[in-house]
Amino acid sequence: MAQQRKLWEADLDEDLQDVDLNLAIGTYGQNGLYDDAQSRVDEATLLALQQQMAQQAAFAQIPDVVKRFIAHFHQAVLENNLAEITVAYESGWNRLTEKFYAKTEWPEAEVIAPLVNDDQIFLILYRELYYRHVYSRLTPDIDDRFHSYENSCELFNYLLSKSHSDGPVPLELPEQWLWDIIDEFIYQFQSFCVWRSKVKSKTDEEIAMLAEGSQVWSSYSVLNVLYSLIQKSKINEHLVALQEGKSPEEIAEIVGEYGTRPLYKLLGYFSIIGLLRVHSLLGDFTLALKVMENVELNQKSPFTRVTACHVTTYYYVGFCYIMLRRYPDAIRTFVSILNFILRMRQYHTRSYQYDQINKTADRMYALFAICNALSPTRVDDNISNIVKERYGEQFAKMSRGEEGIPAFEELFLYACPKFITANPPPYEDPEALQGYIDEPPVEPAQRHLQLFLAEVRAQAPVPTLRSFLKLYTSLDASKLANFLDADEEDMVQQLMVMKQASRSISRVDNEKGLLGGQWISTSDLDFVIKEVRLLVPRGGCSCLRTLTDRRHLLQNMVHIAESTVGRRYAGWFIRNTEHAQRVLDTLRNSPLPIPPKSTEAGKAPAADASAAPPAQGPGRTGGKQVAWGSTKAA
Amino acid sequence: MATTAAKWVAPPTRPPLIETLVSGVDRYNPSNVGILEDYLYHQIRSQEYDCLANLAILKLYQFNPDLYNPDVVINILIKALTSAPFPDFSLCISLLDERPASATSTAAAANPDEPDPLPQLLPVLTQLHGLLQQCRFPRFWALYRSAAVEPLRDNYTVECVGFEDAVRDVAVRAVKAAFTSISRERLGSYLDLSGTELNAYIEKLGWTIDASTGVVSVPPNPDNQIESTVVQENIQLPQLTKIIAHAAQTSLPVVPAV
Repeated sequence: MAQQRKLWEADLDEDLQDVDLNLAIGTYGQNGLYDDAQSRVDEATLLALQQQMAQQAAFAQIPDVVKRFIAHFHQAVLENNLAEITVAYESGWNRLTEKFYAKTEWPEAEVIAPLVNDDQIFLILYRELYYRHVYSRLTPDIDDRFHSYENSCELFNYLLSKSHSDGPVPLELPEQWLWDIIDEFIYQFQSFCVWRSKVKSKTDEEIAMLAEGSQVWSSYSVLNVLYSLIQKSKINEHLVALQEGKSPEEIAEIVGEYGTRPLYKLLGYFSIIGLLRVHSLLGDFTLALKVMENVELNQKSPFTRVTACHVTTYYYVGFCYIMLRRYPDAIRTFVSILNFILRMRQYHTRSYQYDQINKTADRMYALFAICNALSPTRVDDNISNIVKERYGEQFAKMSRGEEGIPAFEELFLYACPKFITANPPPYEDPEALQGYIDEPPVEPAQRHLQLFLAEVRAQAPVPTLRSFLKLYTSLDASKLANFLDADEEDMVQQLMVMKQASRSISRVDNEKGLLGGQWISTSDLDFVIKEVRLLVPRGGCSCLRTLTDRRHLLQNMVHIAESTVGRRYAGWFIRNTEHAQRVLDTLRNSPLPIPPKSTEAGKAPAADASAAPPAQGPGRTGGKQVAWGSTKAA
Repeated sequence: MATTAAKWVAPPTRPPLIETLVSGVDRYNPSNVGILEDYLYHQIRSQEYDCLANLAILKLYQFNPDLYNPDVVINILIKALTSAPFPDFSLCISLLDERPASATSTAAAANPDEPDPLPQLLPVLTQLHGLLQQCRFPRFWALYRSAAVEPLRDNYTVECVGFEDAVRDVAVRAVKAAFTSISRERLGSYLDLSGTELNAYIEKLGWTIDASTGVVSVPPNPDNQIESTVVQENIQLPQLTKIIAHAAQTSLPVVPAV
């Protein structure tokens, strides 16, 4: 990466000053022509002229390095030069943002248009970045929100337009950017919905605009984009063909001219993940998992190279499983991705998305704690140790039933997606709007929280029962009722609840689709009730007994069985053998110490030697630390 | 039981037309709501249940508030009620965006003779669902038969063929998993049946009553057969392939000791 960055800077210095910039300046030089004609121009032209002058002034204020960057960026996009685009996108843009635009907008697209020969496609891409910057660093106003929507529409229309007689557009963009386009599109939708629902703080002008623009960021329009990309790219057919083991040629035939292009293929795939997210935000957890039907969750898929996408996918899938009360599936999902993140940690600290990934990971640890409290199972050591560290206190409370409800609430609200409502407040109807202000509806996150807590409350007696049953192999239910100061009938009902809580639908084998699964036992503690009528001594008295008397002779024997797991050694040994192998590899691959030579030895080898150790040095020590660090933890 | 999830996702009774709607993009087309609503009423009449199709109706209502039909929503919730302990009921409620009081009042103003029955019935349905979720079957029946639930009974559940038996199925599922034998009285209180009706029901289930003791024995099934086990570690070759392959690739040639 360091090397690439250097390349880019070198390019910047060499290529740019003379090529595009001159062109751009040339265009601008012509503006002077209008000065002579000023007396004859009408109002409209004058206005246009003023605007142009303002733009010119704005243009003049752009630092040269930014101008060069934009021109270079444009050139890279024109040439579909993925390497250069990536460097500009991941490094150049962010560095210039830090330097010049940490607290202000980038120059508007209209202002920089001359730099890029008014290339509409590039300007759309530029605006995509421009608005993303506004959303992430500044506070978008209503115009930004409306315009970013329009710009997204323009971008997708361009990609999906049927008017391209020559098929797919010949554009290539880096994977990461394609993911960010979809990710940002949904983020802005969600942000708009949240902002829209806050009626009180709106000005009259905003209310008027919202009343008129009810189609802006509508759920239908967002879904429409995602489904169109999915259909255009035939990504579902593609995924099915991959699973069927079809050859690349066969797949190319199936997916057609759009689906074979990486741009469409990836946008299609990311749109599936986008749907998963949108449906989750809208509270449709079943549909969210259903649209993922053809996606296989594993780390070998060719679509997992964008880490942010990978992490998002697992977060939402795991969350949906929680809402479907499939805790074992949720746990498995979280363990898998959290381990992945732990492994990737050493490589990803440099990514500008590292913070975001870490935040999502932390929320998943919280969700994991919730699942594990509701469905206690033996789980991955690495992950549960971290959970104990971060959420130990809440976890202890959640494992105690009713009194843990506030802890469930706290973690759920912290870790749940930012839910939205599908429809805007009635901005077009002042009377209804007033009603909305007087009696605001419950916030979506609160609604989902209450539904979830109802489930938790139903299970509340389970932890206590569990702790008692663990002590016995068989026990009379009335005795248990005595312990817990409860009625025997209540006790039996709670036992049935406990039984249900220890069963779940779960994906066992590789069932097709994320919704498939089988009914399994999730608990190591199991029990069964055997209700028997005690034999009464034969004799006259038995026939005299009334019904109530007879009831007393019924006995509910609870038989308990526990499955235990023998000590596990293999995982530990496998992990440590792998660590040892890695350490040994690094040692072997390190260059032998170079004995000091005369400086005449030539520049090239010297440069090599000086380049190699910094590249490998940190990697080696890093590897060592991880290896021993986790050994201790295990 | 193995096919529970598969059946839930795609019940064998689902017609092809509905399958196309549920699995395709046509599910978003408001003009298809009628087809799905008809299918719901078919489910109500013929003791079928298709959660995903019903969720598709609620999805259309979510996106198109104009389509909202409280009777349909209530019927969907009644159907979802009896799928406990599965979370269908909550999944349906999740899709009911909180309807602001104003929307309801404008609807009521437009049609003052027929106020929206949902705000009245939703708490009742939620309460009933809570009782089923907590296996409080006798309390469920008491509430269900009470005067407070009369509007729900008289206007809705009476139309839903086999509703009470569907509730009994919930109880039977819970009992089957937790008991190997259960007294006839207790079972009766869960099923809200007694006398010959209860006997007939038990017989229909294929369970047997011991005439002398009045204890019903529940046939063995995976959930009521328990045994203590010790799970031993079982290492599969694939777990070791990485290590072996690596060792094979990198092992140094053996140099004979001199």
